[in-house]
Amino acid sequence: MSVNARTMSDDELFYGHKACPGCGGALVVRQALKVLGKDAVAALPAGCMSATGFNFPQLAFANNAMITPFAATASVLSGIEAGLRAQGIKPDGCTVVGFAGDGGTADIGLQALSGAIDRNDDVLYFCYDNEAYMNTGIQRSSETPFGASTTTTPAGPSHPGCVTGKKDLFAMVAAQGIPYAATASIGYPNDLLKKVEKARDIRGTRFIHVMAPCPVGWGFPSSDTIALGKGIVDCGLWYLAEYEDGRFTLNRDPGRFASVADHLRSQSRYRALTDADIVTIEAHRDQVWQRLRQRCSCESS
Amino acid sequence: MLEVIWHARGGQGAFTAARVLGAAASADPDTFALAFPTFGPERRGAPMRAYTKIAARPIGDRSASRRAAIVVYLDDTLFADGWEDELAEGGVVLLNSKVAHPDARVVTVDGSGLAADILGRAIPNTVFLGAIAALCDAVTLENVEEGIRATMPAKLHERNIAVVRAAYDLVAGRARADALPCCSEAAPIEGASGEKEREASSVVSAEPPARIIPQLQELTVAPERFARSTCFQGGHLVSKNAGWRSLRPLVDQQACTGCFNCYLLCPDGTIYKQPGAGSSSTVAIDYDFCKGCGICAKACPAHCIAMVEEGGGRDEALHIRQ
Ligand SMILES: Cc1ncc(C[n+]2csc(CCOP(=O)(O)OP(=O)(O)O)c2C)c(N)n1
Ligand code: SF4
Ligand SMILES: [Mg+2]
Repeated sequence: MSVNARTMSDDELFYGHKACPGCGGALVVRQALKVLGKDAVAALPAGCMSATGFNFPQLAFANNAMITPFAATASVLSGIEAGLRAQGIKPDGCTVVGFAGDGGTADIGLQALSGAIDRNDDVLYFCYDNEAYMNTGIQRSSETPFGASTTTTPAGPSHPGCVTGKKDLFAMVAAQGIPYAATASIGYPNDLLKKVEKARDIRGTRFIHVMAPCPVGWGFPSSDTIALGKGIVDCGLWYLAEYEDGRFTLNRDPGRFASVADHLRSQSRYRALTDADIVTIEAHRDQVWQRLRQRCSCESS
Repeated sequence: MLEVIWHARGGQGAFTAARVLGAAASADPDTFALAFPTFGPERRGAPMRAYTKIAARPIGDRSASRRAAIVVYLDDTLFADGWEDELAEGGVVLLNSKVAHPDARVVTVDGSGLAADILGRAIPNTVFLGAIAALCDAVTLENVEEGIRATMPAKLHERNIAVVRAAYDLVAGRARADALPCCSEAAPIEGASGEKEREASSVVSAEPPARIIPQLQELTVAPERFARSTCFQGGHLVSKNAGWRSLRPLVDQQACTGCFNCYLLCPDGTIYKQPGAGSSSTVAIDYDFCKGCGICAKACPAHCIAMVEEGGGRDEALHIRQ
């Protein structure tokens, strides 16, 4: 049975956390745990979700959860899985799940993630991508997109902000032959829930990279998080795809993209972008999509 | 020592104001000041406090003030019962509000309105610096202007100084004749007079519930006691997330079609399903944990969730989706 708003469990396993109003990352954790259930054992590195999920005396997780060193999400997951196996709880009694930020995944945690995939440890790894180091006050990560202003890539009259593009984690984990990988966005919740459900039931390493807009770091009203998560997919700056059994699938191929300019202009982190910068971003998007379409067989359009 | 407690929400500039006030007072070489905020890892919109301490000697006590001569509320939704406990004898509360308060100790100033008029943004922090200069001998208007120049970015000087002057005129015009008594050395306050002894009840049973519906386990957690003992009950859901909202979502139960879009998309999981008329279902909101982000109002295809102002008698509905 597919999980949706009607059928999903009433359990709220991530509750009473201190994330900002309208936090996209918090929604990723909440929805994923609804699918994985109360027996899932979670590990979270330093980042917004651990900083706001474990506040003495309040633990926002109803299931077992722990904080890992910043670099160590995947290694801690591997260790938890081995421990649960020794106790006879794994392989089938629960899911071992990690929720790490983009910085914690694409930068400092990359080697641990790669090691877990290499061993094909039976863990599910979520990267909630808010496109910067938010917990420490909006510094650039290797998932910060071109043109975004952060405190370490400040935009000004003669500088567009971040001059590098997003690291392609999806392709990287696929290149290691991971059993299951996917990209998703909180703006497409049913697609996300479907992928979580699928990943839950696969054994071996699984990786889901979820776009999780951050009202504070991106500069938009807290009520617009879902709209931004949808808009970034509709204008082609993010995509919904899967990699399974060695095959790529594009879950959504918008024949025509929504306006990139409208999407970018709704966020203050792109305030300094010129029209020429936006043309650059569109051209880069088109290159990415050319590659994506070559790689993927299309599921729908 | 003159102590000032600033109540605000993260993002309203309370710490900036606390610091500017300290800088203003210590412009006089014989006066010393300390300014610091307290907040947890909570985020934007969460209630926080800042403190300014001003004295004729270097200040060694870096702990939060329990009572103060001046208590400022940059957000009137934070002004709650028990406010007197924090106010020192003869002190004054400065409240950011359009509406006057019956208690003579509470001076209201429409700080957000004044800031919106002059700054173009409703950031009320510097308004209250002008008000403090008007009410209290510890700082003059000139001191505050100097403090702004010394601590705020240059491009903010001119307009914030204009704000301070306007607020000064407004409050000086109607302030009481007698200056604040506690601008001179105030007697130290013994112990925690406002503190109510709360007995921590026994630990909640470890029996896991069949279905995990969030439920507060324990309401007696008293953070102010943390510093004095090492034994506190912690765990899943031991305290509320109260006080974050400035807007409250209201569900029109008649119009709700039970599509559960809002339920699906709430980052805090504070919307729950409940039986509606007949066989239908609707939703309700756990206001102890809702932060008022407004996602639900935008997610509702039937437009049946309205965001209304929290805490005021004003019940004008602000439909986020216009
Ligand atoms: C080894 C180490 N370096 C730096 C930090 C400080 N730190 C804590 S959280 C964080 C940012 C995390 O960014 P990201 O992983 O993107 O998560 P987000 O906060 O954006 O959710 C940093 C740099 C740390 N905890 N450990
Ligand atoms: S800073 Fe951004 S990612 Fe972090 S808690 Fe706030 S909204 Fe969420
Ligand atoms: Mg991040």
